[in-house]
Amino acid sequence: MEAKEVLDELKTVLVSRLKFDPRRAAETTESTPLPKGIEGSIGLDSLDFIELSIAIEERFGIALDENQDLSEHFASFDTLSRFIAGKLPSA
Amino acid sequence: MKSVVITGLGAVSPYGAGLVAYWKGLAAGVCTIRDLTLIETEGFRCRIGAEVPGTPAGSARRTRADRLAIAAAAEALADAGLGARDCRAAALVVGAVGGGMLEAEAWYWRGAREGARPASVRAVRAMLPSAHAETLSSRLGLGGPRHTVVTACSSGAVALAEAAELIADGVVDVAVAGGVDAITRICFMGFNALKILDPAPCRPFDQERRGMSIGEGAGFLVLESQARARARRARVYATLAGHGMTTDAFHVTAPEPEGDGMVRAMTAALRVAGAAPAEVQYANAHGTGTPQNDRIEARALARVFGEGGLLVSSAKSMIGHTMAAAGSLEAIATVLALEHGVVPPTANLVTPDGDVPFDCVPRVSRAAPLTCAISNSFGFGGQNVTLLFRRGVA
Amino acid sequence: MTTRSGVAITGVGVVSAAVTGDSAALGAFLAAPVAPPDTAFGAGALAALVDPDEARRLSRVCQLTVTAARLALRESGLERDAALGLVVGTEFGDLGSTHAFADGFLARGPAGLSALLFPNTVMNTMIATTAIAVGAREMALTLNAPTVAGELAVARATAAVASGRVPAVLVGGVDELDSVVEHELRRLGLAGERRGEGAAFLVLEPRATAHARGATVLGEVSAAAWRALRSRPWGVGRARRSQAIEAVLRAAGAQPGDVGWVYASASDDEPRDRWEEAVLGAALPGGPPVSSLGRLLGRHAGLGVLRVAAAAWTARSGLLPVVNGTAHVARVRPGRGLVHGLARGGAHVALLVDAA
Repeated sequence: MEAKEVLDELKTVLVSRLKFDPRRAAETTESTPLPKGIEGSIGLDSLDFIELSIAIEERFGIALDENQDLSEHFASFDTLSRFIAGKLPSA
Repeated sequence: MKSVVITGLGAVSPYGAGLVAYWKGLAAGVCTIRDLTLIETEGFRCRIGAEVPGTPAGSARRTRADRLAIAAAAEALADAGLGARDCRAAALVVGAVGGGMLEAEAWYWRGAREGARPASVRAVRAMLPSAHAETLSSRLGLGGPRHTVVTACSSGAVALAEAAELIADGVVDVAVAGGVDAITRICFMGFNALKILDPAPCRPFDQERRGMSIGEGAGFLVLESQARARARRARVYATLAGHGMTTDAFHVTAPEPEGDGMVRAMTAALRVAGAAPAEVQYANAHGTGTPQNDRIEARALARVFGEGGLLVSSAKSMIGHTMAAAGSLEAIATVLALEHGVVPPTANLVTPDGDVPFDCVPRVSRAAPLTCAISNSFGFGGQNVTLLFRRGVA
Repeated sequence: MTTRSGVAITGVGVVSAAVTGDSAALGAFLAAPVAPPDTAFGAGALAALVDPDEARRLSRVCQLTVTAARLALRESGLERDAALGLVVGTEFGDLGSTHAFADGFLARGPAGLSALLFPNTVMNTMIATTAIAVGAREMALTLNAPTVAGELAVARATAAVASGRVPAVLVGGVDELDSVVEHELRRLGLAGERRGEGAAFLVLEPRATAHARGATVLGEVSAAAWRALRSRPWGVGRARRSQAIEAVLRAAGAQPGDVGWVYASASDDEPRDRWEEAVLGAALPGGPPVSSLGRLLGRHAGLGVLRVAAAAWTARSGLLPVVNGTAHVARVRPGRGLVHGLARGGAHVALLVDAA
């Protein structure tokens, strides 16, 4: 799976799991920051990140270690899709 | 304001029914967290918790939580030496979260898996947290003010603070108050989903802690005005000298990082009790074992009492987080620590966390002549409570 | 609990199928009451009241709560982050989120669980989100009771203000109609009563404080008490003597004849309604006119709080909306009245309400 396809999947998760308005999800780009409090970000807080990690585990069939600090990978859609693509078995 | 004393205690805990089993287990540092049997755990990362052993006494028509509550409240009344006449005007305050959810879930699951649910008034009515209070007041003949408080994980402690206010304000002379929860699928699944359950028994204040363990039980206390207790020459365990209730208004699950709400709850309890921080020798911590809670609670304790200013331990290391019962079971542990001059330990604590500047009484209980102690309880939604007890009649 | 107090009502916020707004909107509705065809609150109506960014993380019942709380706070003139306590009464809490949470697991196993929904499965979720929305940092209590949760919340909040422990309290009641509960009650033949949904809030503070800051006082809760009448769980009892009414009359130094009118908790649950009539008849032998808004708005915890706001309006106006088949407005003696609630299982509340 390409990073681009991962990004599209993540946008679906934004609506289905994180309850974003579909228009708001469609506006996001690869460079949109995720964490709340950053200029231009989509505004996710700690609970949103847990929800997102469950959705990623379900959707992509990968396991995320909650004892590891993954914040650098959860910085933007770009970093997150590359992180996920890197964990997927290569096609 | 009238002085409020504790004259009766009752507990059903993962050590079994009764106060004696509860204190014996705590003082010996026995951890009761093991594989869960009440609910299915297949497919979950954490599959353990602290269950009350055996089948709780009482009619199987009652929910498990109702049976736990009846046993603990009846024990507290008997311990206080109170009879039916004393109960007629007594207040009842119950802290509850899950209500009869364990049974309601079985009923709901059946509908989802078999396509049909039997019509059940119990599933709708006994599910509510308020059902415990209705059962208790009907069963024990309690006819005074009655209410049920839901403040998530601090509910049991809030119930005691509420009862104390009713007595302090002169509304009643006697109150039965406490908290109860049975293990439920919702609770187990929810904390798993939040990824804050340790797959191994929880290790509060340990460097390697990975989260909490769930538990169940019921703890009830009899509170009386000191004047009434003296008039009837009742045994007085302790004085509930102060309490503080505050709200973080910060986040639905995360505690405020500086512990401001916790600090305000502790300082309010000190102010109401007229106590100086240096008088408090022991804190029965909320101590869930999550990385976040224990770090922030330690910070808040240090802000109020100074680093190393008192002994700290967590009963959750032994009986898990008993949810709405936690605040009242841990208040009982605090009262008994004062009574016996023994601080129950923090089990499973092997490598103390450098960010926790307190002696957390690892694994083995400690003899310590105590005169003043607090019990902290914090809940989701930033619901903070501190209870301050003094030994005997203060 | 008994409280003799000078506790002023300085703000009202109501969100319901029939009326949404502050004390003026409620007064206009009560002066010409019309039962809404449906007691459910429409989805579009709610969306218009809540900011979409905020709504993403608020369940429906939390949206009802936060909206009503803000309306009341705005009318009171108190600012965000004021030293405020919160008390919220509810019968069912956020049962909708609880079903959704369980359904996720039942459909897809552990991966179908939602971390976002889990905090909503605990009944304090409405108070947690409201505390954040208005910056309330004092004590925050969620009270659970059938039928009288709203009245109970006002009684508890009155005690908190009267004792001086909290400078002011934002107190409310809220419930939403839940499809599973409604289905079960119908199956059990218990759907005879009119049930509804919505939220209502009041701001309570000491009369002296309200006057000092120049706030408009809409009415006063002069005394409040709650007790348990003997009953089996979820049952209708036979006890008629009301310790709660006796307690509020005693606290206010009043006689039964001083109660000019009553808002009761009738909602067409006939055995329960008859029990309440018997209790009121024994306590108030003069038989003052009784209104219940239950037939108008449907029973829910918000209605219990709305009744207290309505009582303040009746105390001012001498008008009492009566619903007996059709709704009309009766003239009553202005001034002191009683708000009374009695639930199956015996939870029982009395509140004396006066004009400012």
